[in-house]
Amino acid sequence: MFTPTTRRRLVIGGAALTATALVLTGCGRSAETGEAAPKATTSVGDGPATGELTVWAMGTEGENLPKLTAAFEQANPGVKVKVTPIPWDAAHSKFTTAITARTTPDAAMVGTTWMGEFADLDALDPTPGNIDTAGFFEGANETTKVGGTSYGVPWYVETRLVYYRKDLAAKAGITTPPTDWEGLKAMAKAMQEKAGAKYGINLQPGGTGSWQTVMPFAWSAGAAITGDDQKEFTFDTPEMQEGLKYYQSFFTDKLAGTDLPPNQTEAQFVSGQVPMFISGPWMAGSVAKLGGEAMKKNIGVFQLPKNRTATSFVGGSNFVVFKNGKNKDSAWKLVKWLSDAKTQAQWFKLSTDLPAVKTAWEDPSIANDPLLPVFGKQLEDAKAPPAIVNWEQVATAFDAEVEKMAKSGQSPADTAKAIQTKAASIGTGS
Amino acid sequence: MSAAVRGGSGRQTAAAWILTLPFVVLFLAFTAGPVLGSLGMSFTDLRQRDLRTPFAVNGVGLDNYLKALSDETFRKAALNTAYFVLVGVPLTLGLALAAALLLDRGVKRFQSLFKVGYYLPVITSIVAIAVIWRFVLSPDAGLLNTVLSWIGVDGPNWLASETWAMPSLIMMAVWRNFGSAMIIFLAGLQGIPQTVEEAGQLDGAGSWQRFRYLILPLLRPTVLFTSVTTGIGYLQFFEEPFVMTQGGPLNSTISVSMYTYQQFGFGNYGLATSMSYLLFVVIAVVTFVQFRLLREK
Repeated sequence: MFTPTTRRRLVIGGAALTATALVLTGCGRSAETGEAAPKATTSVGDGPATGELTVWAMGTEGENLPKLTAAFEQANPGVKVKVTPIPWDAAHSKFTTAITARTTPDAAMVGTTWMGEFADLDALDPTPGNIDTAGFFEGANETTKVGGTSYGVPWYVETRLVYYRKDLAAKAGITTPPTDWEGLKAMAKAMQEKAGAKYGINLQPGGTGSWQTVMPFAWSAGAAITGDDQKEFTFDTPEMQEGLKYYQSFFTDKLAGTDLPPNQTEAQFVSGQVPMFISGPWMAGSVAKLGGEAMKKNIGVFQLPKNRTATSFVGGSNFVVFKNGKNKDSAWKLVKWLSDAKTQAQWFKLSTDLPAVKTAWEDPSIANDPLLPVFGKQLEDAKAPPAIVNWEQVATAFDAEVEKMAKSGQSPADTAKAIQTKAASIGTGS
Repeated sequence: MSAAVRGGSGRQTAAAWILTLPFVVLFLAFTAGPVLGSLGMSFTDLRQRDLRTPFAVNGVGLDNYLKALSDETFRKAALNTAYFVLVGVPLTLGLALAAALLLDRGVKRFQSLFKVGYYLPVITSIVAIAVIWRFVLSPDAGLLNTVLSWIGVDGPNWLASETWAMPSLIMMAVWRNFGSAMIIFLAGLQGIPQTVEEAGQLDGAGSWQRFRYLILPLLRPTVLFTSVTTGIGYLQFFEEPFVMTQGGPLNSTISVSMYTYQQFGFGNYGLATSMSYLLFVVIAVVTFVQFRLLREK
């Protein structure tokens, strides 16, 4: 084929080409970073929003949002809002790619656990001072804060409660839901012994997202994920161990199973096999859908049981404005409008997403629901993990250790130690 | 071509360059460049947020490689991958060869029907396959356990059991992949002249002897090809655990590719690329050994 010289020339030429290309792009990038970064908006103007706004939102929210923004466009005739729906499973990488390439939208819905990472990438605009944050649930408000600065506002919230079958509870001789740790365990036992359940309660034996069910028990026992400055992890504490021990005891006492097929919580609840579980507001709908009208009146919920506190998990999504957006003032106006109590109540009717603004819960569509007000009460005592850059990675390590604890009997003390060791080697990332 | 480059006139050389240029440019830009770039990346501590200032990252020498090799989960993933390859590849090739022999000899009337049937899983989307296999492997009402219960066996909870999750995935992968090797075996078999076998028959060789001493040696190039391609494919074991078990329970089905993917997702680019290169080295060695063992003598 090629003679040695031509081949060498090719290789050298190629290497030089790649090198120049790399240097060129490198220069381009660093020159760009040298430019004055777009200034953070410090206050939102009073006038109407104008210009074109691009907005990203995930899942069904992305599909429903245009119905809501149509009203915003009516109130601000000069503005045009373009909503791009993004599937949840592609969202994280789409955001990080856009942030790296500086092609972010003006505003977007963002999962609460991504806040730390995106703020660390210097992508988010700090919340302007004249957006009132006092009306939000405290736990939800905390999710917008990274290192003491707030980026964006809570858009909708969800928290976890204990679901139970009212009819089977009556059969088991329980008339008022338990309020403490002992009571919850006794109830699970009674469900098994008197109401014919295979397992008293459905708890996730590790695996993706199980930390969301485990942490509330640890929080309730007084544990914390990090110290106050969010620099060091504090997983290996007696309080953490107490929470883990309580969680594990459900498996060792055979009140919860490790051998249940995943994603069948609703089916097992409806069949009465496992008549209790801990989950968020969406489960009421999917249980009713599976069980029909007759099941609806048998769905009961109560707040997480108390140890030192009765803390649940708060999740949901925030709305943020990106730092290098071209139309930041109008973007913040949209965000401000979205967090208005009236808009939030209207959004609930469109999407059944629970409002992050407390006063929106007074709307009859929520206040008169048989289950929803309990979620509202639980939201008064609900926590989110701290907004740290490496949280997803720490959570994965956490889930893996919980799995070992639930399935192969790793002791709570060893579990706490292992989580701490892994988390410390991953680091908070800041 | 070689004559043109070496001794031909200047015009011919120029023409050769012009004709190969598009390929050379594309190859450098989209294959050689990224490969070299990622190799370099594997010796740095590059993380996602460093992408905006890629020349400010630190070189860390072999740290990423040492970190990967001492990582408990990575080693587990390597063992799982080895398990999958050592059991999966022989099963796939054996089944493929058996099916090809049957199709080659069998009733001609149904041949194309079976060919299509066995090949269909190869081109079916993994998501559709996952849905089917979740039904097959479901512990309570699943097809497999129902059939087992007829013969009095109490089937396990396949995907949730540490012991059975990997065999379940192997079963699924073999079912899904043997069709492509079968098609190639079939082509190989049909390339063997009928006269060879007739000669064997005349010399009084039984059907096993004919297979062992006539057909199999003549199939050697085909066996080499299928074992190399299947081997590489199985070393990159990813989709089955990704859609069925997410690597669980207790990391019993996590594979090297999946763990690497996870590290990319966390933004640990340096570490993740070093894992890819470790897998690359293993694939290169395995392929080299296969060529050694199966080459024409």
